[in-house]
Amino acid sequence: MEKQAYIVGVYDDEEPLIKAAQKFKDEGIKIQEIFTPYPIHEIFEIQDVKSRLSIAAYIYGWIGGLSILAFMQYAAVLSWPLNYGGKPENSFPSFILVTLVFTILFVTIMSLTTFIGRAQIFPGKTIDIIDPRSTDDKFVFVFPKDGTDRQKVESLLKSTGAVEVYDR
Amino acid sequence: MYKTEVRGLLVEGGKTLGDVTRDVMSPLETRSPNWWRVVFGFASLMSIWGIYSIYITITQGIGTWGVNNTVGWGWAIINFVWWIGIGHAGTAFSIFLLVLRQKWRTSINRAAEAMTVIAVLCASIFPALHMGRIWNFYFILPYPNTRGPLWVNFNSPLFWDFLAISAYLLISASFWYLGMIPDFASIRDKTTSKVKKAVYGFFSMGWLGSAKEWIRFEALAFILGGIAAVLVVSVHSIVSTDFAVGMEPGWHTTIFPPYFVVGAIFSGFAMVMTLMIIIRKFYKFENYVTDSHLNAIARILVFVSLIMGTAYLTEIFLSWYSGNKYEMFTFFHNRITGEFTPQFWAMFISNALIPQLLWSKKLRSNITVLFIISIIINIGMWFERFNIVVTSLTKDFLPANWAPYHPSLIEVGIYVGTLGFFILGILLFFRYIPMIAISEIKGVMKFNKTKAD
Repeated sequence: MEKQAYIVGVYDDEEPLIKAAQKFKDEGIKIQEIFTPYPIHEIFEIQDVKSRLSIAAYIYGWIGGLSILAFMQYAAVLSWPLNYGGKPENSFPSFILVTLVFTILFVTIMSLTTFIGRAQIFPGKTIDIIDPRSTDDKFVFVFPKDGTDRQKVESLLKSTGAVEVYDR
Repeated sequence: MYKTEVRGLLVEGGKTLGDVTRDVMSPLETRSPNWWRVVFGFASLMSIWGIYSIYITITQGIGTWGVNNTVGWGWAIINFVWWIGIGHAGTAFSIFLLVLRQKWRTSINRAAEAMTVIAVLCASIFPALHMGRIWNFYFILPYPNTRGPLWVNFNSPLFWDFLAISAYLLISASFWYLGMIPDFASIRDKTTSKVKKAVYGFFSMGWLGSAKEWIRFEALAFILGGIAAVLVVSVHSIVSTDFAVGMEPGWHTTIFPPYFVVGAIFSGFAMVMTLMIIIRKFYKFENYVTDSHLNAIARILVFVSLIMGTAYLTEIFLSWYSGNKYEMFTFFHNRITGEFTPQFWAMFISNALIPQLLWSKKLRSNITVLFIISIIINIGMWFERFNIVVTSLTKDFLPANWAPYHPSLIEVGIYVGTLGFFILGILLFFRYIPMIAISEIKGVMKFNKTKAD
């Protein structure tokens, strides 16, 4: 993978980071990525990132639930009806448990697949780690070098409490 | 907002973010301690006995067990329910507390989930072996086959059980692994060993920790947590229907589903307590698994123990109140008194009475007492399952059917084997996986700061 050139600002605490992110947003400077060691909800709001995974999961739930009910109907009523002690073939109440559990299983598998697909993460993926300390104790802002006003960004980073600013 | 000081600091010792990564990684980076090797040796011996017993069961059949026509379910189902119960609380713990946004879960959830996955794997061995012809295992799957197609019976609790446990295992394992991805990335970026960098790098799935990754990660964690919370309740309810739809006296009661779910949470929390005390003591994690954490688990145990006691008394009361002589016989002449008196009282004293000691704050803050009580609860919960399975089966409606039951060495061997597998699994977990969720601990550390101000 060809390495891109970046300007990197490093913070060592969450509070100045959130303030800085807000300041950059107010100034109209786009931060390409913010890497943090744990999720910070304020950053999600400032960066305006959203996830529609829960909507997808809701839809998967309906698909999973309805298909397993239809399948049980087919298997136990249409394909090979068996008489279990004179009970009705389409014994809806006793299908509910299987429906519930299968729906959960289906939502899990599909949500995981969607997550892997959307977040593009999979075992053995080759990555370009900007600053390895961002999974440890540092909070990292990354700006693309092209098209960024270097001086302005650097002075903003320093004034908001960045402990390091460097090129990469 | 109303605020109350229920808990102490979530992380003690004035730790920084960097300290957390270093501390949690230290068991992975250093040589395994001597006690680890000794226990590993013992657990391997137990596992070998287990594997031998499993081999004998598969090659020679269920005849090698002590079960008979009357007592068709013996130690296998007791141990199955016992392991599922233990496997229950890990996810119950982690997920209920996640959904309720309880921050103190962060130090404990990783170990609790590890326990769940390993315990459910141990549990699944028993029904598989009890099938007798394990090579025909796939008959239980509803797939278009050349036998009709003859479908499985969707009305049978045994099929529900199979589905529920498979789903539970898969979801618990996914949830566990998902939580580990950012931690594997931390290890990848911090370790100096090339091999570890490559291995943890592979399993970290290219995690970088960008805002987009984190928001999706959290969304997925909440989806899995939310739906698995339903599963926690449904899995053990389904296990209980294996009994409750049977006609045996002592089984055919509607109290079974909640009774089983609560029992599972009880034994699982006790096992979490055992495990956390070991982790804290042997890996010096006192700053992460604080007295306040153990105190919280102990308080939950007291509460659940009260529910257990109430359930036991309710069962006994209803057997008398129903006026059914078979129920009366089972409870009054076959459990409280009679052949199985020691097992009944072992259950009652260990589960309903001894945990009441934890009302005392002094005992609750004594780690040795907590450890002993947590072990006693697990023994008591084993006797509970023994009571349910064996007392009802040995003496049912017709005295002509009555038969005694004694487990064979093979059955005992399989149980000891699963204990060995469990210990091995936990030891490997201690050795190769960060025992405490690094990124989650870091996320709650800011609440420490506000508290210190």
